[in-house]
Amino acid sequence: MDGHDVILSIKNLKKTFPKDDGAMVAIENFNLDVKNGDFVCILGPSGCGKTTLLRMVAGLEPLTSGSMKVKGEDIEGPGSDRGMVFQEFGLFPWRNVKKNVEFGLELKGIPSEKRAEISQKYVELVGLKGFERSYPKELSGGMKQRVGIARALANDPAVLLMDEPFGALDAQTRNQMQMELLRIWKETKKTVLFVTHSVDEAVFLADRIVVMTSRPGTVKNLWNIDLPRPRDRASSEFIALRKNILDELEVQKTGA
Amino acid sequence: MNYSSETKSGLRAYLARSDPLRIGLMVSSLPLFIAGWWLLSIYLQGQNFYYLPTPLEVWNALVASWEWDPVTHQPLLANINASLGRFALGFVIAIVIAVPLGLLIGYSYLIDAFSKPIIEVLRPVPPIAWVPFLLLSLGLFWGPVITIFIGVFFPVLSNVIFGVRSVDPLLIDVAKTQGASNRQVFTKVIFPFSIPFIMAGLKIGVGIGWMCIVAAELFAAQGGGVGVLITAGQTIGRYDIMFAGMVVVGLLGIVTLTVSEYLEKRVKIWMGMM
Repeated sequence: MDGHDVILSIKNLKKTFPKDDGAMVAIENFNLDVKNGDFVCILGPSGCGKTTLLRMVAGLEPLTSGSMKVKGEDIEGPGSDRGMVFQEFGLFPWRNVKKNVEFGLELKGIPSEKRAEISQKYVELVGLKGFERSYPKELSGGMKQRVGIARALANDPAVLLMDEPFGALDAQTRNQMQMELLRIWKETKKTVLFVTHSVDEAVFLADRIVVMTSRPGTVKNLWNIDLPRPRDRASSEFIALRKNILDELEVQKTGA
Repeated sequence: MNYSSETKSGLRAYLARSDPLRIGLMVSSLPLFIAGWWLLSIYLQGQNFYYLPTPLEVWNALVASWEWDPVTHQPLLANINASLGRFALGFVIAIVIAVPLGLLIGYSYLIDAFSKPIIEVLRPVPPIAWVPFLLLSLGLFWGPVITIFIGVFFPVLSNVIFGVRSVDPLLIDVAKTQGASNRQVFTKVIFPFSIPFIMAGLKIGVGIGWMCIVAAELFAAQGGGVGVLITAGQTIGRYDIMFAGMVVVGLLGIVTLTVSEYLEKRVKIWMGMM
């Protein structure tokens, strides 16, 4: 991979949290390069620091040492060049769908006509045409997360960060949203960093899967998933890959 | 229960889910109360106890004082206007100061650290305890107004602070990842999130403020007032007018509370929360 193509670069990353007796090391010696347009899933046991990692890329958590660069620039706090989608949606209940999607554009002072044009584009992209005036409480979980995705994309970020975005949805909606996300990803050609604890979800979505070790979190293995899309969960290749990655996670859990 | 009846609003929905016995009890309770009052007052007056007038005597006093009230020497509406005017003024001053102050205290722990001891010392003093001092120092107009101010100020302040502290941290994270500055987090997330709490504070403030205005007027007030009507009625032995004043105070309390509840609901609908 040549350096020009790399949009997100993480080197020797370390993150510690203060504790009563010294410091708890959450992430250590973490290295990752993400290419432009890549769909990367971060997979790991709970407590391995994968959400912390994503929050650090978002700029919501400071790093302890090492470096994190987006488009060659050090990450210093949150910014609209990195859009984030949260597991619990985080929609503003007093804003309708249109106004939620326009939030970031409003912060930048973009005039309302231009805002309306951009928000309409993304509302339609996520399949919510006709719901522009609906309020979050009137939407189902899947629809809420569609708003969350549209809102993150409306800022036209370089990287889309997704923190277990479908974790709060039922299994059927979850599968549907995974297909929708792949469609949106193809249309927007965004770089996606997607945190999940579901091996099935990672194998279905990702170009590459980063398997993390348990605390302190570091990269245990990188899997390139070459299966053609749309992927068939029932195919023998899919099942075999899923089993191999699951085995790798199991080994950690038993501590072997 | 059938879902559609839940979504109906107001009295109709309330009646729709009530059985006949319940409606019967609701409709008959006030007439029974008045009948009981009537019997009691007639009985007591037979025992040479004249402080409790009959409902009819109170009604007549109300009708008579509508035109010209012999104790305050003005029409009833002038007394109502005087009270409502003081109430509105004290209420508005309290909101104008308590809302921004509450937002700042809730947002900044340094401002909280400084103001908390002062607030906690002043809050337990009942507003009515201030009345003698306020009347002496501020006079018969501003004294009652500032009494209301004190009564409304603390519940509104507490609610605003509570609202700011209840903000979902997730929403703040969302705003930050969308590129919000600290100021924008405050104006676009914390403030709108607090509005329903502010409205709830106003509703509590209305109840307390109304109590305060009447209490202050019982001491003295310039230009009359419904509280003045009560004390003046007592002083000259017109107990029918004293009770007429109580009835007016009660009715105005219901009106102001209903208006504030309506406003609270409108704001919630306007914000898409209802």
